[in-house]
Amino acid sequence: MKNLRSYIVPSVLAVFALSGCGSDKSTTGTADNPNLPLVAFAQANSQDPWRQVFDKDIKQAADKHSSEFQFTEQEAGDDPKKQIDEIETLMVKKPKVLLVSPVTEASQKAIEDAHDAGAYVILLDRSIPGNKWDVYVGGDNYTIGKMAAEFMGKKLNGKGIILMIRGIADAIPTKERAGGFMDAMKQFPEISVIQGDDCGYQRAKAQTFMENFLQSKKPFDAVYAHNDEMAIGAYLAMSQANAPAKMIVGIDGCQKEVVKDIKDGKIAATFRYPQPGAPAIDIAADYLKGKKHPSNKVLLPTEMVTKDNAEKYLQEHPNLAD
Amino acid sequence: MAEARPWNTALRLLQRYQGLAGLALLFIAAHFLSSDFFVAQNWVNILKQLAIPGVLAIGMTFVVLTGGIDLSVGSHLALLNVILATWAKHNANIWLSCGYVILWGVLIGAFLGWLVGRLRMQPFIVTLGAMVTLRGIAYVYSDRSIVSGFGDRFDAFEKPFLGLPISGWILIALTLAAGLILSKTVLGRRIYALGGSETASTYSGVPVNRVRIAAYAMNGLCVAVAAILFTARSSSGTPSAGLGYELDAIAAVVVGGASLFGGVGDAFGTLVGALFIVCVNNLLQLRSVDTNIAQAWKGVIILLAVYMQTIGRKQPT
Repeated sequence: MKNLRSYIVPSVLAVFALSGCGSDKSTTGTADNPNLPLVAFAQANSQDPWRQVFDKDIKQAADKHSSEFQFTEQEAGDDPKKQIDEIETLMVKKPKVLLVSPVTEASQKAIEDAHDAGAYVILLDRSIPGNKWDVYVGGDNYTIGKMAAEFMGKKLNGKGIILMIRGIADAIPTKERAGGFMDAMKQFPEISVIQGDDCGYQRAKAQTFMENFLQSKKPFDAVYAHNDEMAIGAYLAMSQANAPAKMIVGIDGCQKEVVKDIKDGKIAATFRYPQPGAPAIDIAADYLKGKKHPSNKVLLPTEMVTKDNAEKYLQEHPNLAD
Repeated sequence: MAEARPWNTALRLLQRYQGLAGLALLFIAAHFLSSDFFVAQNWVNILKQLAIPGVLAIGMTFVVLTGGIDLSVGSHLALLNVILATWAKHNANIWLSCGYVILWGVLIGAFLGWLVGRLRMQPFIVTLGAMVTLRGIAYVYSDRSIVSGFGDRFDAFEKPFLGLPISGWILIALTLAAGLILSKTVLGRRIYALGGSETASTYSGVPVNRVRIAAYAMNGLCVAVAAILFTARSSSGTPSAGLGYELDAIAAVVVGGASLFGGVGDAFGTLVGALFIVCVNNLLQLRSVDTNIAQAWKGVIILLAVYMQTIGRKQPT
């Protein structure tokens, strides 16, 4: 009998396991009406706070159009092969519109195949080379870098030393956030910029870097971090070391935490790196109504968040990550 | 015990062919769950998607059969991927670069086998160390960036030939080769013997260390082939590539009817196991199930497959 039982248990489990797939209601899309056209979204990852806000935004925007099209999303955990697999699989369902936030340029071939197969392709946040896509929607990191430089230059009255804490060394946003900043700094010849370490856009790494930097006793007047997480890390290091408060500026503006820090005067300012989800859904909806977007590049405007408008910013952007 | 014999036979058969049984159940489920599953285009996709995890799983079969495990294949793939992409970017001859990468794959595999066999270190720990080290080297080698800009030089691997992408043919050829090595050669018999009982193998004159080194080297070779296919598929070298691929490979081997205690399993079963996992992923995606939930299902299926293989078998004491 022991053998019989040990044989039945796994078989029953197997049947449950497989039948479970079908009854699973945790789908990421709105598959209300199979006759409606499909808008498919291949997301690079859903892990970091900025992407979480992005996901919330795009789902809300798609819900508003649920009588016009179905929406489905797959995220690739930043694995380029996984994204290629996902795009190919999504294309089996013959979507009218394919939204892609590419993991890397590796997704180019799959995106081009989708475009050749007749899907209207909208790229979000990250672009790919070539022209086999229809519209790019994303923020403008170069302009954000410039605005940060102008804000800080004015606050320092055109004089001082700024420590720049850098994001992932070879990522394009890092290059643009640094490049725009350095170009605008040319108007302030009496400000010098210290090129800090690559802290990988991570709070903990920036905190360690800042601790070591404070230990080195090198003078500086302000910190420019390539994102808010690193700005918060720098602040934590400075406050734990009881170092005198300095102006700290970050980028992204996608977390409630940073807006609260701005309200409390811990961080001077951040610049919103806008999520492209909602505008892209509008472009998709227009396309399905027969209106192609007139240009192939939509650069979303940024917003500066300081103590003055922090409260208002919180109210205007209820989807911010916790 | 006499009345239990039919059940025993059925259990043995199911254990041996659980991959096929799972696949059959999955196809039945797919028939009811998605109208897009049995579509030609989807099957072309599945075969393209199968090549990389399939080749990794075939390599893993050699290691698992010896009673070992290799957690480093994802990192190993990433390193060879950035090396190959860098060579391609500098316009090196494509066949020469592939040969170079295969050489490194075999050497790294053999070295791991040597650590496990000769230095008597546990495969889990050795390959966990290698997983971290190889990933680190991949980042340093590529200067922490994605290596791209060599266009479509590796496109040939994805092109169809007699209806199948070349990468799929490579997988089939490797599976056949692995099947022949395991069933028809002295090395194959020794691998099974070693996995069955190391003590008995040693006493009967099997050169246990050399067999281990050979098994891990075979695995390294397969990792190199998978890295070449990965480079072709993504047209780039990514130091973060292959995260978690070791688990897919191990899962495919186990679902395919191999025992993690060693000595049981074969290449064809592994191929079926890999196909099963790719089909599960594909079906869940077609159903728009969140990938994290898909991940959780994969875990359940692996546990189930491992459980199946432990019933009525020897346990490590």
